[in-house]
Amino acid sequence: MSFTQQKEEREIEEALVKDLQAGNLEAYDKIAESYQKKIYGLSFNLMRNQMDAQDVTQEVLLTLFRKINTFQGKSAFSSWVYRITLNASYMKLRSKKKEPNVSIDELLPSFNGAGFQQEKIQDWSENTESLLFSNETKDVIKKAVDLLPEKEKVVFLLRDVEGLSTEKVSEILDLTVPAVKSRLHRARLFLRKKLSGYFEEYRSKKGEA
Amino acid sequence: MICCKECVDLLYEYIEGSLDSGTTKSLEEHFQECPPCIAFFNTYKSTRTLCRDTLNEIEIPDEVRHTLQSFLKEQKKQQEKK
Ligand SMILES: [Zn+2]
Repeated sequence: MSFTQQKEEREIEEALVKDLQAGNLEAYDKIAESYQKKIYGLSFNLMRNQMDAQDVTQEVLLTLFRKINTFQGKSAFSSWVYRITLNASYMKLRSKKKEPNVSIDELLPSFNGAGFQQEKIQDWSENTESLLFSNETKDVIKKAVDLLPEKEKVVFLLRDVEGLSTEKVSEILDLTVPAVKSRLHRARLFLRKKLSGYFEEYRSKKGEA
Repeated sequence: MICCKECVDLLYEYIEGSLDSGTTKSLEEHFQECPPCIAFFNTYKSTRTLCRDTLNEIEIPDEVRHTLQSFLKEQKKQQEKK
């Protein structure tokens, strides 16, 4: 998206928010239409459950409607929406029994005393094209993301999946930019390790056949 | 030469293109001498795209969409009554 397009979109959105604050219900439809996929997608990826994601989406849409006058425009409207979505998802998650997360440190790369790679590293990056279409691969990826600790997961979902900028993510989560970067890097290392296990096994199976 | 640990620590900024030219050069020199780190870099990048493409596929199921639509309608009706 070009800079002018971004600017235009922001202006359209600001106008919609003003309309909604003034009680214009048509603006509500437009806002709900443009945000519900984002709200549903993010909450689904956090909870991996359709009913829960539906509940959260309803709750967020309702909050947008009822609390629109508390939005003061200090941050972007979309940041506000993402924050409400995250809060609602976390409330929901907390009300459920949760499986303990694995420690992320166990899955970070290991080096020898001199700082050199200790494990054998296979390059499976070129095999993924055909694999991506298999449901098994998709399940492995979703499970790996589900295992991420909460702090790393949310940064990963906002930055790498939603495609938001580092600055935006830091605004939404109220974190410094370096903290966002370091959490994201750790999340990617964790996921790389998880996926490596899967792809290397797949590769060796194929080799045997 | 930088070690593999330093190399891995730099990958994030390398992908962002935010490393200065000196650091980029030492990283690329490391790659030339260290195939495992090239493999690491390639799979680091793939991880990102694979996860993004998979998790972005999520669409709102039709039944959920319908529920949301009637929910919104109901909300608006209540609002109009006020
Ligand atoms: Zn190396």
